Amino acid sequence: MNRDTPPPASRSWRDIPQQVKPRAMSSGGRRRLLIATLGWLGGLTAAAALGAGVWLVSESWRNPGSIPGAKPVPIRDIALVDPNGVLDRDWLVRTLALPPGATLGGLDLPGLRARIMASGQVAEAALFRIYPAALSVHVTERAPVARVMGQADGRSPHPFLVARDGTVYDGVGYPPAVVSSLPWLAGVKLERRGPGFAPLAGMAARGARPGAADLLAQAKLEAEHLYRTWKVVSLARLDSDGVIVVRPAAGPTVTFGTQEDFSRQLAKLDWLLDTLRARGTGASAIDLSLAYGGSHQVTVTPGPADQAQAAPPASAAVPAFQLLSHPIPSVPREF
Amino acid sequence: MEIGTAKITVLVGEYTGRELAIIGCGECQSRGVIKGSVVDYKAASECTHAALEQAERDAGERVDCVFLAQTGGHLEGFYNQAAVNVKSADNMIDRDDIRTVCDLAKSKELPSGRMVVHHIRRPYRVDGRLVPTSPENLVGQRLEVGYWTVHGQEQRLADNIHVIRGFNLEVRELVLSSLAAGHMVTTPEERQHGVLAIDIGGGTTDYVLYRDGVAHTTGVLPVGGAHFTNDLSIGLRLTEGQAEKLKLRFGRAMVQAKDKGEKVWLDGNFAIGDRQFPRQAIEQILAARAWELLEVVRKKLGPSFSPEACAAGVVLTGGTAKLPGLTECAGKVFGVPAHVGEAPSWVAENLREPGYQTALGLLYYGLSSQAEKAASARSRGGFLSGFTRLFAHA
Repeated sequence: MNRDTPPPASRSWRDIPQQVKPRAMSSGGRRRLLIATLGWLGGLTAAAALGAGVWLVSESWRNPGSIPGAKPVPIRDIALVDPNGVLDRDWLVRTLALPPGATLGGLDLPGLRARIMASGQVAEAALFRIYPAALSVHVTERAPVARVMGQADGRSPHPFLVARDGTVYDGVGYPPAVVSSLPWLAGVKLERRGPGFAPLAGMAARGARPGAADLLAQAKLEAEHLYRTWKVVSLARLDSDGVIVVRPAAGPTVTFGTQEDFSRQLAKLDWLLDTLRARGTGASAIDLSLAYGGSHQVTVTPGPADQAQAAPPASAAVPAFQLLSHPIPSVPREF
Repeated sequence: MEIGTAKITVLVGEYTGRELAIIGCGECQSRGVIKGSVVDYKAASECTHAALEQAERDAGERVDCVFLAQTGGHLEGFYNQAAVNVKSADNMIDRDDIRTVCDLAKSKELPSGRMVVHHIRRPYRVDGRLVPTSPENLVGQRLEVGYWTVHGQEQRLADNIHVIRGFNLEVRELVLSSLAAGHMVTTPEERQHGVLAIDIGGGTTDYVLYRDGVAHTTGVLPVGGAHFTNDLSIGLRLTEGQAEKLKLRFGRAMVQAKDKGEKVWLDGNFAIGDRQFPRQAIEQILAARAWELLEVVRKKLGPSFSPEACAAGVVLTGGTAKLPGLTECAGKVFGVPAHVGEAPSWVAENLREPGYQTALGLLYYGLSSQAEKAASARSRGGFLSGFTRLFAHA
């Protein structure tokens, strides 16, 4: 026999067809067949149900509101959950500007979130569908630390608020007293970005160097009687000299350095102003930026004594600044 | 599952991934089966399915598939061998050579209506040198191999399968009864030295001769324990039930001189119809049948059997193997020591009877092949080659 041609295969018992008609089965066999058939049908039904479920979910994900058989219900409630600022539900409704009769399924949540986030006042936003007909919005607001004059979208110049991270935004809903208590920022250049402005450099800390927001926050927290008098905070020399110049409504211009802790500088300033006031000596400028790295030099430029300086405040006997744990060291005798 | 002439036995096994466990057993008196063949489909189905249901209840599990023992007078075997010249230039035997010679050896056509049940491979020979394992990568010029092919009548095989399918179960494998039982009652050493395993059931006698560690010759005689009973029934003019009772109580396959004058009672209850029989008459009838049966086995084996090539002797199993004196009778007929086969030590006490060896062998084969599959994660070859591996190389 040629080894390249396969030999004929003998018929094996495996060639016997194993199927038998149900009538040739015993009752036990028919019962097993029925159970097996039902099992198959059950499996098929389960698989079909699973497939339909997957299809419905994917369809609702891809094309919201298109689930067949599901009757769309108009949104009845829009809730602002856990607000941490001044924004209210009215602002939210205005911002979302949902068309009448909008349904949850038809909402474009990413688009709505972008609409909310377009306001610089909002740091973070999350929207949730609460079936059957409610939309829940979680908003985290920015808090203003300063204000700056700007002109946007062809409108007349008007004040914008500046957050700790340097975000410049059109504040909504703040009481006028809060806005008017904020110092003005000077020496900054507003750069247009989209409909608003780019975040201001120098407000937030950059690496080890603290930012102007840190000074303002620390002053408001630890020496509020000084902070209240501050009208203009200039960042003009922040990049070049690493100093922040503060011009109060009355009294000497103060220059803060970014090399030394703001708390120490504020304590020195408080002590100096008290001392000057006690002596009845006037000063036009105080430079605290030199006192760092073991140096205790503070440059005080003499000037006319003004009324505010001459009259010691009622709280002078008990300084408002309490954080200084040791007496102020040697103060230069130049003044 | 073994569908025997006297009883139907089902053993349910479970392979847990690490061990083989017998978890259920079902047994039912056989009906509709004569000499290993189904003659009454309905009766055979009823008792078969009853045994299956009992086994499922006992196991507490649903049976997935069946390994079915195959016996019956319609089974026959023949030997066919083939040889090829090794084709590579360096005379190194490769897989292609092995496949070719195996295909040639198995290619003998069967008469119409006959179907192959098993191809049992004998050891390869390379240039006349016996190679017990694979000859791949051996160097030689001529590769030979032979197969003992067992074939049966298509209708009889289909009947057995359809009885199982009537319970909506798949027959995963048909295994020759003699191979299943023989593998259980013989050890690998005995098979290596040569051993003859004879399974004397109710309606058939299955035998397998092992040489060189593999099954050399198999055969089935349509004679079993029922014929012993029938002989007693005719010889002593008894009903089959009475004859069976006498056989079990006083039967012996060798005539003992001390029993010459002894008489035994049919029932022993002194009721009407109870009577005495000479014990020697019972022994003479049974001994004549036993001697004749074993003689026929020896004649069927022909030159394949010789006392020198059967050093491990004869191992008897099956329900009739419990007949006293049968081992002595076998020893005289074959000229080699004979004993009743014992189940391996891992078999539970209630399954150690000779009548369970075939079912145990089937279970062992079925679970071993599953374990083998799981261990080697080898899917090619299928169960048939798995069977060949198990019984031909063990």
